Amino acid sequence: MPDSQDPIRATWRQSLQGWLWVAPALLFLAVFVYGPALTNIRFSLFSFSAMSLDWDFVGFENYLRLWNDPRFMTALTNNAAYAAISVTCQVGIALVLAAVLEARIFPDFSANLFRTALFLPSILPVVVVGLVWQLLLTPMTGLIDQILWETGLSSWSKAWLGEPDTAIFAVIFVSQWQWTGYIMALFMVAIRAVPRDLYEAMEIDGASGVQQFWHITVPGVRETILIVTIVTILGSLKVFDIVWVMTAGGPNHASEVLGTMMYRAAFRDDMVGYSSAIATVIFFIALTIGLVQIKLQKDR
Amino acid sequence: MAAARPFPALAVLNRILLWAVFLTLAVICVYPMVWLFLNAFKTTNDMFAATWGLPKVWHWENFSTAWNYGISRYLLNSLVVTTATVVVELSLATMAAYALVVLNFRAKAAIYTLILGGAILPPEVSLIPLFRVMAETGLYNTYFALILPNVAFGLPFTTFLIRAYMTGIPGELREAALMDGAGEARIFREVYLPLCRPILASAGLISAMRVWNEFIFALTFVESESVKTVTIGVMSFAVALRADWGVLMAGLALSILPILATFLVMQRQFVGGLTSGAVK
Repeated sequence: MPDSQDPIRATWRQSLQGWLWVAPALLFLAVFVYGPALTNIRFSLFSFSAMSLDWDFVGFENYLRLWNDPRFMTALTNNAAYAAISVTCQVGIALVLAAVLEARIFPDFSANLFRTALFLPSILPVVVVGLVWQLLLTPMTGLIDQILWETGLSSWSKAWLGEPDTAIFAVIFVSQWQWTGYIMALFMVAIRAVPRDLYEAMEIDGASGVQQFWHITVPGVRETILIVTIVTILGSLKVFDIVWVMTAGGPNHASEVLGTMMYRAAFRDDMVGYSSAIATVIFFIALTIGLVQIKLQKDR
Repeated sequence: MAAARPFPALAVLNRILLWAVFLTLAVICVYPMVWLFLNAFKTTNDMFAATWGLPKVWHWENFSTAWNYGISRYLLNSLVVTTATVVVELSLATMAAYALVVLNFRAKAAIYTLILGGAILPPEVSLIPLFRVMAETGLYNTYFALILPNVAFGLPFTTFLIRAYMTGIPGELREAALMDGAGEARIFREVYLPLCRPILASAGLISAMRVWNEFIFALTFVESESVKTVTIGVMSFAVALRADWGVLMAGLALSILPILATFLVMQRQFVGGLTSGAVK
């Protein structure tokens, strides 16, 4: 991606000037992102508590323990489910919605209104979204339950966030509610950059909207699809806030994800080394995803 | 368009179906917020009796109760943290982007990769060491504990956006200014900054939204009411008010009112700004 536009190799003097301009940004990244991330890997080889001075070097014991911790598998599975559902909704469904809105099927005014309405959830703080949906999903008094009762579907009524089978899916659903419209708006921008006459040519040939979607829209926004997919998967890996607010990983750790598990270990159970090991796992998964992205983009 | 197709009836049916789908989605997306605002005016009992309808009596006092409960302070804190972060982040990112676009220096590609690479690392991976640094340096429980990491984690994407925009500015402008004897600092200030105004607005908006909604640093690095941002403030608020739904919802409504109002007034700029970077 970076332009390789250095025609002549810079002199040291020139280089110094360039470095000075990027130095503040690099310094921030080194001190607050990369430095701590590397320190974290070192922490994961020790067993210690937050404020203690006793550090026991334990090697890979934290990782061994993690591997045998059933909650770790639950968390990994939940993160994977998060990613799978998010990619389906936020890439698949959002792209279709964007294509429909950009196909001028609706009058401009309504298309605009739909875009604004679907975009709205994405501007809200995750915490507020989590709390509001917690209220909406409350059994008996929440809106969802009341809708089910009034439409005669009361047998479906349940404590969505309170039951181990549904808790994580309820949280994932809320996440889709919040972000699908945002990704849709991103795709709309990308689709607008696809040359209009491609569509007109296919239209003259009598191609249906579905055919136009597969043959023009999808190839036309391939790059955006790739980036959005990567960002969505990364987002599912680091998800923390919405889960922490809505279920805090409960009930009985059924909706735990890597982020909540890591946070709990460090700041509730005071097992800092163990928590660092979880963070290191997150680090390496993120790194792998990042490398895959670079590889895929180079292949173009 | 539809009439030209072989099965007009089918096309009409399709169209009705699409309208139905989009109307339903729009209602699902907007109604929870309408519900929040309506119920913020009710007492807990009214709400249990009828969560659908309009309030019988509009309890405006829910809002003043919530406001005095601490929401006002949380909003102020969020404003301070967000403004400071955006200003610092934009300054550093613009400088870095300028160098990456116009200056020639060694290891440029590697440095750009290093800056971008920060975007893949989630805050979780740095959280524990950062917490220790904050505790040891006395930054814990101050605005800086939120501003500094927020700047760092926002820099990669902001630099990416601004750099992409700057590559579209013709290099001849800088060369002409150099001929006139202007230095880099002056070209940066007087040529590039004014031309970059649109992207600075977009990048600033994206960054402001991110910081305003930021959660994990605020949860970890501050604890006093006097520094808590609105995201974490609302959490403690919710815990304290479990029983009083009306006031709780008034508090939630107040906490999102600034963003919501801005969004509704300038939704075009908002959507445009937040989606910039969708195409390179």
